Amino acid sequence: MHEIGVREVVRWAGMTFNWETLCMTWLTMAIVLIIAFLAVRNLSLVPRGWQNVIEMVVEGLQAQMKGTMGKGGMFLAPFIISLFMFLLVSNWLGLIPGMASPTNDLNTTLGLALLVIVMVHVLGVARKGGHYIGHFFKPTPIFVIINAIEEIAKPITLSFRLFGNILAGEILIIILLKLMPIWMPVPSVIWLAFSIFIGAVQAFIFTMLSMAYFANAVKEDEE
Amino acid sequence: MIDLNMTLVAQILNFLILVALLRWLAYKPVVSMLKARENRIADSIQRADDDAAAAEAVLADYKAKLAEASAKAQEIQARAEERAEEYRASRKADTEREIEQMKKAAQAEIERDRERAVEELRTQMVALSMAAAGKIISKNLDAAENEQLIGDFVAKLDKNKIGDLSC
Repeated sequence: MHEIGVREVVRWAGMTFNWETLCMTWLTMAIVLIIAFLAVRNLSLVPRGWQNVIEMVVEGLQAQMKGTMGKGGMFLAPFIISLFMFLLVSNWLGLIPGMASPTNDLNTTLGLALLVIVMVHVLGVARKGGHYIGHFFKPTPIFVIINAIEEIAKPITLSFRLFGNILAGEILIIILLKLMPIWMPVPSVIWLAFSIFIGAVQAFIFTMLSMAYFANAVKEDEE
Repeated sequence: MIDLNMTLVAQILNFLILVALLRWLAYKPVVSMLKARENRIADSIQRADDDAAAAEAVLADYKAKLAEASAKAQEIQARAEERAEEYRASRKADTEREIEQMKKAAQAEIERDRERAVEELRTQMVALSMAAAGKIISKNLDAAENEQLIGDFVAKLDKNKIGDLSC
């Protein structure tokens, strides 16, 4: 049975890794890649079958991204789409008995959140230079404190929101199974269904917030 | 439960690898395909517009040619009618002239016939008169004097009156 809160660790070259998280991440990556491969296997100019769905998803996301981040943010499209698919598969993977979500580990969520925030600031400085840094001191220089708190809060909220939701969901699945007698599966099933919903919503929220943060950095002012 | 370690770095690397793979495997082909379709549709629309414009031009050309041809046909018809009219008029004139000639010829012939008849009549009348006079006067006049006498008599006859003679 899953031991809540206890992680199997491996040590390699003086570094510690959470083995289960890594394995589940690789599994998630494999699933995402297989889905992507199956989706684009037979692309044709006249779409047929699943290609319609894929095109709808890609075009819809592209429209969303263009609306949020402007034309300057379109080069981030593969990153955003990958983020969404990775998080979605991750969140749902933990609902399969015997599996665990890579996102139930703070290392994963904080890693992704830090990646996003670092990319935002690097892109912001690269695209807008002094103007980007200057806007932390608006309207008066004293606001830099509030802005700094906000910028620090961004990765923390982003990562803990996802981490907490997914971990709580998995814990509750285990607890419900332990609490309920085996002939009473209704609460587990209801919670499982809700977890599917939560998994999708959290993946969506993480992706949307990332896009919003990117928009600050890459969106042109006049757009 | 919240134990941060090197997994964090590993997860960042994992995710970046996933992004790279997805970009190469799925995103590029889909986007390029969408782009290709967009271009194709734009091309098709452009070509359809061009075709329509060309058809329009051809139609206008045909209409102009048709109008030209119809005008030409009318002109030809008018000219043909004119020529027919001319021909008819000339034929009519020819015919009238011919009739006139024939009439003249006939009149001339009639005239000639009449003169010949008159001449003949005169000759016969001379002969008859000679015979009659010869019998009446018998031998006292010679033939030459007789002929002179009768010739004068005949010459005195009015030319117009000859026409009234039943010969």
